[in-house]
Amino acid sequence: MKRYSKTAVILSLLCMGLGQLYNRQFMKGIVFLAIHMVGLYYSILYVPGAVRGLLTLGDHAARMELVGKIYQHLAGDHSIYLMIEGLIILALAVIYLGIYLLNIKDAHDAGRIRESGKSIHTFRQDMYALLDRKFAYLLLALPAAGILIFTVMPIIFMILLAFTNYSAPDHIPPAKLVDWTGFQSFIDLLQLKTWSKTFYGVLIWTIIWAVLSTITTYFSGILIALLIQRKGIRFKTMWRTILILPYAIPQIISLLVMRNLFNGQFGPINQYLSYFGLGKLPWLSDPVWAKATVIAVNMWIGMPLTMVLMMGVLSTIPKEFYEAAEVDGATGLQRFRFITLPMILFSTAPILIIQFAGNFNNFNVIYLMTNGNPVQPDYQYAGSTDLLVTWLYKLTLESSKFSTASAIGIIIFLIIASLSIGSYRRSRSFREEDMFQ
Amino acid sequence: MRKMTSLILVLSMLLAVVACSNANELNNTASPKGDNAEDGLQLEPGAELLIWASKEDLPFMNAVSKQYTEKHGVPITIQEVGAGDTLNKLTTDGPAQIGADVVIFTHDHLGKAVAAGLVLPNDVWQEDTKSANKDNIIRAVSYGNIMYGYPLSIEAPIMFYNKQLVPDPPVTFEEVVEFAKGYNDPDKAKFALMWEIENFYFNYMFIATNGGYVFGNNGVNFNDIGLNNEGAAEGVAYYGSLKDELLPVRTGDVTYDVKKGQFLSGQLAMNIDGPWLVGELKKKGDMYGAVPIPSINGKPSVSSSGVKSWYVNSYTSYPNAAKSFAHFASSKDAQLLNFQLTGAAPSNSEVMLDEGVQKDEFVSAIAKQFENSYPMPSIQEMSAVWIPMAAAMSDVWNNGADVKQALDQAVGQIKDSISGGSSGGGL
Repeated sequence: MKRYSKTAVILSLLCMGLGQLYNRQFMKGIVFLAIHMVGLYYSILYVPGAVRGLLTLGDHAARMELVGKIYQHLAGDHSIYLMIEGLIILALAVIYLGIYLLNIKDAHDAGRIRESGKSIHTFRQDMYALLDRKFAYLLLALPAAGILIFTVMPIIFMILLAFTNYSAPDHIPPAKLVDWTGFQSFIDLLQLKTWSKTFYGVLIWTIIWAVLSTITTYFSGILIALLIQRKGIRFKTMWRTILILPYAIPQIISLLVMRNLFNGQFGPINQYLSYFGLGKLPWLSDPVWAKATVIAVNMWIGMPLTMVLMMGVLSTIPKEFYEAAEVDGATGLQRFRFITLPMILFSTAPILIIQFAGNFNNFNVIYLMTNGNPVQPDYQYAGSTDLLVTWLYKLTLESSKFSTASAIGIIIFLIIASLSIGSYRRSRSFREEDMFQ
Repeated sequence: MRKMTSLILVLSMLLAVVACSNANELNNTASPKGDNAEDGLQLEPGAELLIWASKEDLPFMNAVSKQYTEKHGVPITIQEVGAGDTLNKLTTDGPAQIGADVVIFTHDHLGKAVAAGLVLPNDVWQEDTKSANKDNIIRAVSYGNIMYGYPLSIEAPIMFYNKQLVPDPPVTFEEVVEFAKGYNDPDKAKFALMWEIENFYFNYMFIATNGGYVFGNNGVNFNDIGLNNEGAAEGVAYYGSLKDELLPVRTGDVTYDVKKGQFLSGQLAMNIDGPWLVGELKKKGDMYGAVPIPSINGKPSVSSSGVKSWYVNSYTSYPNAAKSFAHFASSKDAQLLNFQLTGAAPSNSEVMLDEGVQKDEFVSAIAKQFENSYPMPSIQEMSAVWIPMAAAMSDVWNNGADVKQALDQAVGQIKDSISGGSSGGGL
C-alpha cells in the first residue's frame, strides 16, 4: 500500500497546494497554490518591516527643517501607527498560517482516503459540502473576522500600550518616538511615590464603592419588592410604576439634576434644611460626605432594576413553602431568612456578580455627579470620588498619559475578571445544583 | 464605557472620516486660480482647505472663508469641532492625514501642539504678524523662539455686572466688599460677586497681582515656580479672607452652571467670567455691563489671559494655501469682521483702536484687562499646576488652612509631578 498521506503532507508542507495536486485534486490545488503565492509575496514585502516596526517602534521622528525662510515638515516614523500596522500585518500572517495548517490537514485527510482505496472528493463535492454540512462555519467566519479586527486587535493594542512610555509630554508621536519600557508603567504605578499614593487611594475607594453600591441597590430592591408584593397592599401597579421611574429617566439628565439638587449653597435640599432651621450639609464638597452622597444617589438609580427583577423571582417561589412554614409557626422574619432569601440568592447570584463588575466600572454616576471632585491635593490627576475608571478617563483624555492609563485598564480587567470568574464558579446556579434535594 | 485608549483612538479616526462626509460645504464650485497670494507665495494648484471651527465662531468662519474663496479661488470646507476638542482631534487626525488644514485654538495648547509636531511655524508672514500685534501677544503664540500662530483675538476674564443691581460698578475689591455688606443674603442665595473660586484660572489674579507667578522667565522656566513666594502668599491670604466678607460659600458649590444661572436670574450682582459669556449677555439687551477686574490691595488686578490664533497643520497637503488663508483670516479686516459677527476682542493693535470696537463696553473691558495680564504659560508642565493649586486654595478658603503651608505643599507636588510623573517611563 502506498503512503499517500505522508507524501501529501510533506508536499503540502513544502508549498501549499502541492499535496492536493499530488492527490489529483487539481482545482483545489490551484486555489491553494494561488493563496500560497499571494501570501508569500505579501509576507516578503511586509512582514519584515512590520516586525522591525513593532520591535523598534521607529527610529527617526518627524521634524521641522528651515529651508531658506520657510519651515518644511519632514515626515518620520509614527510609533503608534507602526504598532497598529505591525499588529494588523501579524494578524493577517496568523490567518495565513491557519490556512496553511488547514491545507496540510486537507492533504493528509485526502491521502488517507486514497490509502483506504475510496475515491477522493471532487472540487464540486467539496464546494457542495461547504454550502451544506459546513455552512455554519462559512457564516461564522464573517463575525469571527469582525471580532478579530474590531475587538481582539484593539485589546491587544491597548495591552501593548501599557508596556511603552506613550505619554505626555515627552513621548507623544509624531514629533517624538515611543519606546518599549517593559513593566515600568506598572512598577511606577505601584512604587513611584507620586503615582502609587493615587493608585492605592483610588483602588481602595473603588472597592468600597463597588461593594457598598452593589449591596445597597440589591437589598433596597429586595425590600421594596417585598413591601409591594405583601398581601393587602393596594395599588400595586401604581407603586411599581412610581418606583421604576428613576430607571426610565436617562441617567445623564437625572444625575445632572441631582448634582444641582445637592449643591451646598444653592441646591434645594440645603435650602429646605436651612428653611427648617437646620444647618447646611456639604453634600458634594466634603470628601466623606461626597462619597456618601454618590452611594445614596446610586442606590436611587440602581434600586428599580433590582426591584423589578425581584418581583419576578418572588412570583416563582412556590406558595406551599410559606403555607408549610406558617403551619410550623415560623415568624415573618424566619420565613424571609429561610425561604425567601435563599431562593432569591440562588437565582440572582450571577446578577449580583454582574452588578458588582458594573459598579466597579460605574463611569456615569461618578463622572456626571461629581467628576471625581472634591479635589484631593495628594492625588495625581484624580479627586476624592474618582474610581479607577474615571481616573483612567482623565489620564487618557485630559492628560494624555496613555501608558499609565492602559496599565490601569489591565489592572481593572484582572481584578474584575478574577473576582467574577471566582465567585461565579462558586455560585450554586453555576454548579447547577438544585436548591432542594 | 470609555475604557480603552485604543478604541478611542481608532473610533475618533473613524468618526472624523464619517464627519468629513457631512461637513458644511461652501462654494465648492470655485476652483483655485493658482495665483499668487499677497506675498508672492505660490498657492498649490488644485488646493482646497478644510477648517475646524467651534460653534460660536461659525458666523465669522463662514463669512471669512467666503471672502477668501472669492479672492483666491480656493474652495473651503468648514467642519464644526468644539474649541476644547480641537487639539486632541488634531493629535490623532493630523498625522493620519485627515485633519483640518487650518485650525484655531487658544495659545495655552500650543506647547502640546509643538511638542507633538502638529503645527507649522508662521514663517512667510512673521514680519507682518509681529508688526501688527503687541509683544506679549507674539510671545504667547511663540514657543521656543519660533512663532507659530496667526493671532486672531484675545481673551481675558472681566467683571460682568447687572446694571439694575449695580448702577456704579466698583473699581476696587474693597468697594465690592462694601457693596456686599448691604447686598449679601445667604439664606436667599443673594450674593454680590462670584467667580469660580476653585478654578485656578480665575484665582490666578490673587497670586499675580501681588508678585506671584506660575513659571519664571515669562512662563517657560518650569524650574522656577513663583506660586509660593511672599507676594503669592499675601494674595492668597487676602483671597482666604474674602470668604467671610464677600462670599460665605464652599468652593465646590460655585460651579460654572450655578454661577451663570444665578447671574442670569438676577440674584447675583457681579460675576467674574471669560469672554465666552458675552454673546449670551448681549441677547438680554442692555441689562448687563462689564468692567476690568477690581483692583486688589490698591494694585490693578493682574489676571491670566489667552490669545486665540490660527495654526497651520504640519500634515496639510497644501501648506502655502493654508498659510495664506491663516494670514488672510487674521488680517485687520478679518478681525474687524470677527468683532462685528461674534463680538470677539481683536488682537491687532490698530483694530483695537477702531471706533466701533472702542464703543463696545465688553470688548474694551477685555482689552483693558488684557493690558494687565499674563498669558497663561503654554509649556506642557502647566498641566501639573491646575489640580494642586485648586486643592491648596480650596483648603485655604474652606478650612482656613495656613496659607504658606498650603502653597508650599502644592508647589512640592507640582515639582514632584513635573520631575517624576511627567513621563510614564519613570525618572
